[in-house]
Amino acid sequence: MIDLAKRDIEHTLGKFLVTAMGVGMLLGIVLIMIGVYRGMMVDAEILLDDISADLWIVQEDTLGPFAESSRVYEDLKDIIYVMEGIETSEAMTFQNIQLPRPEKPVRVVAVGYDIRGLINPVNPKRLIEGRDIKNDHYEIVVTDKTGFKLDDKIKLGRNFYTVVGITHSTVSNGGDPLVYISLKDAQDLQFSYSNKEIQNNEARGVKNSETFVVNVIVARVKTGYDVNDVAKEIRKWQHKSVYTAAQQKMILTKNLIEKSAKQIGLFTAILIVVSTIIIALIIYTMTLEKMKEISIMKLMGLPNLLIISMIVKETLLLGVFAFIFGNIFSHLTYDKFPKRIVLEIPDAWALFGVVIIASILASFVGVKKVISADPSAAIGG
Amino acid sequence: MQKETAIKVENLVKNFGKGDNLVKVIENASFEIKKGELVALIAPSGAGKTTLLMMIGCVQEPTSGEIWLGEDKVYDNRWTAKDTRKIRREKIGFIFQAHYLIPFLNIIENITLLPQTNKVSEKAAKQKAMELLEYLDIADKAHAMPSQLSGGQNQRVAIARALANNPQIILADEPTAALDAQRSISVIKMLKKIAEEQNVAIITVTHDDRILPYFDKIMKIENRGIIFHTLDAERII
Ligand SMILES: Nc1ncnc2c1ncn2[C@@H]1O[C@H](COP(=O)(O)OP(=O)(O)OP(=O)(O)O)[C@@H](O)[C@H]1O
Ligand SMILES: [Mg+2]
Repeated sequence: MIDLAKRDIEHTLGKFLVTAMGVGMLLGIVLIMIGVYRGMMVDAEILLDDISADLWIVQEDTLGPFAESSRVYEDLKDIIYVMEGIETSEAMTFQNIQLPRPEKPVRVVAVGYDIRGLINPVNPKRLIEGRDIKNDHYEIVVTDKTGFKLDDKIKLGRNFYTVVGITHSTVSNGGDPLVYISLKDAQDLQFSYSNKEIQNNEARGVKNSETFVVNVIVARVKTGYDVNDVAKEIRKWQHKSVYTAAQQKMILTKNLIEKSAKQIGLFTAILIVVSTIIIALIIYTMTLEKMKEISIMKLMGLPNLLIISMIVKETLLLGVFAFIFGNIFSHLTYDKFPKRIVLEIPDAWALFGVVIIASILASFVGVKKVISADPSAAIGG
Repeated sequence: MQKETAIKVENLVKNFGKGDNLVKVIENASFEIKKGELVALIAPSGAGKTTLLMMIGCVQEPTSGEIWLGEDKVYDNRWTAKDTRKIRREKIGFIFQAHYLIPFLNIIENITLLPQTNKVSEKAAKQKAMELLEYLDIADKAHAMPSQLSGGQNQRVAIARALANNPQIILADEPTAALDAQRSISVIKMLKKIAEEQNVAIITVTHDDRILPYFDKIMKIENRGIIFHTLDAERII
């Protein structure tokens, strides 16, 4: 049997391919949007995985350093350490800072950690140059995206910090580049006031004890202990909020990314609807252009099924070609975007399913036109 | 030898619209056409020639009456078959003023599309199509696209297409209107040859009295009925 859809497409190949490319770009953007979401998921977990703590102990009734500000005293680390089931505990700080650069300052998240502690957030696997911090003061490890090189001097607060190490692809949960500094330096930057202010506070009888504050105590649990039980104990005695690694992940993905996911989901849905409408319009005009032939086919006695299957097949082919172009487009462009984009094959297949359904829906307008075509209208006169 | 009946019509009525908008086009038309006859259908514009052809061709439903195609009664105040398209694709060939070839199919595909729908194998359909193209003297264009042929060549392809399903009846609505006198005569001669050699009944609507001498019979719609003319009548159009 003659493949009408194939013949028709061959006949209008240029137009068909251009349309498929146009729709393909829309689908490529859909894939990139999904990739942005996947990238956020990956980013969110990088720091958590690098720190790989079992427990996150934060200010009571707060969701922890990634969701809202949390302040706890540094010595809480020692109190936690002696609790049953705890193997190690460390204090850490997280703060947004700007690294000055000649062109434009870079916004980063600085992780402050105890350089002699047992929980080191600098993942050696991601360290591509230099070393982690060895001296208590004025050393910094930066991620390559910040643009700094080894031995660069960066002015933070009143002091110059030397870049001693470079990491690759470390980002905060929000996708900002990460830098690492010692806990002491971090506390200075985060909590110390100007000299004037300290003098004022002293005059008012307020002691400047803020530098003993950190954002979180992270802890690892001894093997054989259930993290949930240990967490429960700490909550009971220390009046702190305690999150297990799993809960921390939930907070990050659920609470923080959910909103973005909704936004991305909505954009994606709109783009898919737009693509469907474009496919439908193209198929409709392609059908309209063939109306005379379709009427003649009906008049000669060709069954509707033959004509409808031509329309549906053309629509599906348009969808499939657009999908292929979309994948090519997304793979050509994804690394040009500033934030991490993760293209996953299952997402592409899911989109493929959606495109097929959308194409079938889009073909309805053409099919309706075929069914209502009057065979005797073809021959007017 | 008595010729077999190809088309028989009795008391055929066709009205359009209702009430004040009622248009009576055909009233009580009755006639018979034998196999192998080439018949001209003439009448002034708007008299109902196309309408009559479309009713015989099972495209437009009459208001009432009876129609036989060969042995089969296809219309008995209503269609006797659920699927009139099957009748069309198996028994009837259509030719129009324009060729209406499918532009994205080549000549041979245009001709074999219908037979293949009728479950004729691709090979047999192609063979038959080539025979027809040779018969109509355009076999060299078998793999060309319709846009590459002249109007007259395309019209011959359209005739080949109408013959491809071995129809018992060919209905042609002004097939020569777009052609010059010489080509018109050659198309009619071709139809006459087909009617005789393939034993097909052909009704051809025409406004062109130069081609009338080639027809076996001349059928005229007059006062919403059918009358037959003899060729030696002085002037019929
Ligand atoms: N669908 C319709 N609805 C209403 N009236 C119609 C319809 N189709 C045809 N008619 C009317 O029926 C009459 C016959 O039309 P038809 O097309 O059969 O004429 P014709 O003899 O083929 O004319 P021409 O020589 O111009 O082709 C005309 O008066 C026309 O207005
Ligand atoms: Mg007409």
